[in-house]
Amino acid sequence: MTRRLAPYAVALGGAVAVTAAIGLVGAVLPVSGLSALYLLLVLWLATRWGRGPAVTGSVAAFLLYDFYFVPPVGTFTVRGPAELLELAVLLAVALVTSQLAASARRARATAEALAADSRSLYVLATGMLRAPDVAAGLSMVSTSAEQLPGVSRFSVTSGGVTLAGPALTPDEMRQAQWSFDSGKAIGAAIKDGLFRAMRTHGHATTAYLPLASGVVVIAVDTAVGEVSDLRMLAALVGLADLLLDRRRAALESERARGFEASDRMKTAILSSLSHELKSPIASLRAGLTALATPRAGMHPEQRELMEDMDRQATRLDHMVGELLLLSRLEAGVDLAREPHSFADIVGGSLRQLRGALRDRDVVVRVPTDLPDVEVDELQVGRVVTNLVENAIDWTPPHGGIEVGAATRDGVLEAWIENDGDAIPPADLDRVFDAFWTRRAHGTGLGLAIAKRVVDAHGGVIRAENRRRGPRFVFTLPLATVPAAQ
Amino acid sequence: MQRALRAGLSYHDFDVRTVGNGEDAVREAAAWRPDVILLDLGLPGMDGFETLRALRPATRAAVIVVSVMPGEKDKVRALDAGADDYVVKPFGTDELVARIRAVLRRQGDVPAGEPVIRAGDLEIDLARRLVSVNGQAVHLTPTEYELLRYLALHAGKPVTHTTLLRQVWGEYAVGDKYNTRYVVAQIRKKLGDDPANPRYVVNEPGVGYRLEA
Repeated sequence: MTRRLAPYAVALGGAVAVTAAIGLVGAVLPVSGLSALYLLLVLWLATRWGRGPAVTGSVAAFLLYDFYFVPPVGTFTVRGPAELLELAVLLAVALVTSQLAASARRARATAEALAADSRSLYVLATGMLRAPDVAAGLSMVSTSAEQLPGVSRFSVTSGGVTLAGPALTPDEMRQAQWSFDSGKAIGAAIKDGLFRAMRTHGHATTAYLPLASGVVVIAVDTAVGEVSDLRMLAALVGLADLLLDRRRAALESERARGFEASDRMKTAILSSLSHELKSPIASLRAGLTALATPRAGMHPEQRELMEDMDRQATRLDHMVGELLLLSRLEAGVDLAREPHSFADIVGGSLRQLRGALRDRDVVVRVPTDLPDVEVDELQVGRVVTNLVENAIDWTPPHGGIEVGAATRDGVLEAWIENDGDAIPPADLDRVFDAFWTRRAHGTGLGLAIAKRVVDAHGGVIRAENRRRGPRFVFTLPLATVPAAQ
Repeated sequence: MQRALRAGLSYHDFDVRTVGNGEDAVREAAAWRPDVILLDLGLPGMDGFETLRALRPATRAAVIVVSVMPGEKDKVRALDAGADDYVVKPFGTDELVARIRAVLRRQGDVPAGEPVIRAGDLEIDLARRLVSVNGQAVHLTPTEYELLRYLALHAGKPVTHTTLLRQVWGEYAVGDKYNTRYVVAQIRKKLGDDPANPRYVVNEPGVGYRLEA
């Protein structure tokens, strides 16, 4: 009570003091306009304590001035509009100044409150984000939220697990899941940086707020609602969102590390398998071919037998190679993609098959000014080799085989066609299945490998029949770098 | 494997000696002076690549690397480390003998002072820096000529992109396969060579280029 009255006392005392000062100064040295000193007093009162004391001060000042200095001195007479104007000026100064000062004070108070809010939020946020793990950070968020007035619970859940705060009941978990799946908040919303609970019939409500990778469940008393607390609550929900995101990122990178490790493992297993399977075949072939040399002194029929066995060993080697390649492709081993000239790749494959192509009539229609393709040279070479090998098998001696390419709709379209019997229409799709073959001695892997390589490059491959025989068509991506021409 | 190869090669009139590890190989190469060394990369003890590097100062013999790993990275590494050729296991005796004969021929082919190298109707006159196809002069830029000359000096041997870059552009060349590809495309164009069916400069997928001997 005394504290509230003190400003008024100061106002009255101040008016008296200023009156005394004017009286003293006036006695020594008569100066007109000393009454302006009252103005100073009123200004000070208004900025310091606001409207009430300022008005009190101005009225007191006016009365005192009137009584002591305005003739007839010693009376409270008001004569003429000039004196009334003086009173009005004093009152106006008091009112306007106190108003201005009050709003300035309010603005400052708001700013200070905001600063305090953000300071405490900053401390909280850095603490949470620096927490050793996301779970610790989330429970810090939950604890801070539950300290806010009116908030009785702040739980965070993700993927059916309560990560912080009181555990959710199965029913609540279903609600939370629904909210997460539909992306819709229940019972409350965050708007303009404030937590806004929806009015319900009771006082307390349980709200579900869906986040990017989880749901926050908040039990809050709707009657309570200081703006700063609502802002804080909204900020805490934001923090929980951040932390959940961090948790998801951590989980994902862990999973990626796992994949990477298993990829490395697969590659290691495949290359050691390749070594283990190929070494015995290598010894077999070296021995068989050595014995099949005329100088080895074998009988002709024995040599023939050796050569037969070597052919079988070669076939086995081929099969092992294709199986390993297929598993490598299935394992998703990376492609070494670079711009390449498709003509170069075709040249490499045809050179490799020179022997087998000797009695076939090969036509190459690959323009030299084709743009480069962005591919793994070796794998695509494998596609061409496999398709040409397939064509050789289905072409009668001296039949024609054509290898061609052209650009079409922003990709390279290549084809390999041969003279020969058509592929039965029912088999056109099955030819690319692994282990499916129309040949007695085929592995059924060559075309399957071709399809996987083309798929891995984002291209398409298909088999079709022309009038003179089958044709395989596949597409490859063009390089973005201009061609080396 | 070693026994089978020794038998197979001796039937083709080669004088063969075998050793079981890299250290012995280096010693034997210096003492016995063979013409060709077959080096299996999967050696016990001293690693295959180490052996390859150790062999180079010890011998002028052609080194053919034998490996069960079909990876082109190993191929490139072996060729860059000084191997003359690379054979992937399994292979038949005939194939191996053909490769050995090829490196032996190349060895005999590069006598110092031989001024003209021929590959089919391609002729490279090293002394006068002239290139011609079928007697028709072909004008190459200095870079194109250097690249073709290097391939010609190692005709029949696959030359890696790295080696070409270093030999043609210099020790500290900054660049990648794109450079060599570009220059080879230019050379082929000028020689009238078809990349899909090259007669002179042959693409070694994943490795580099080779001039058809």
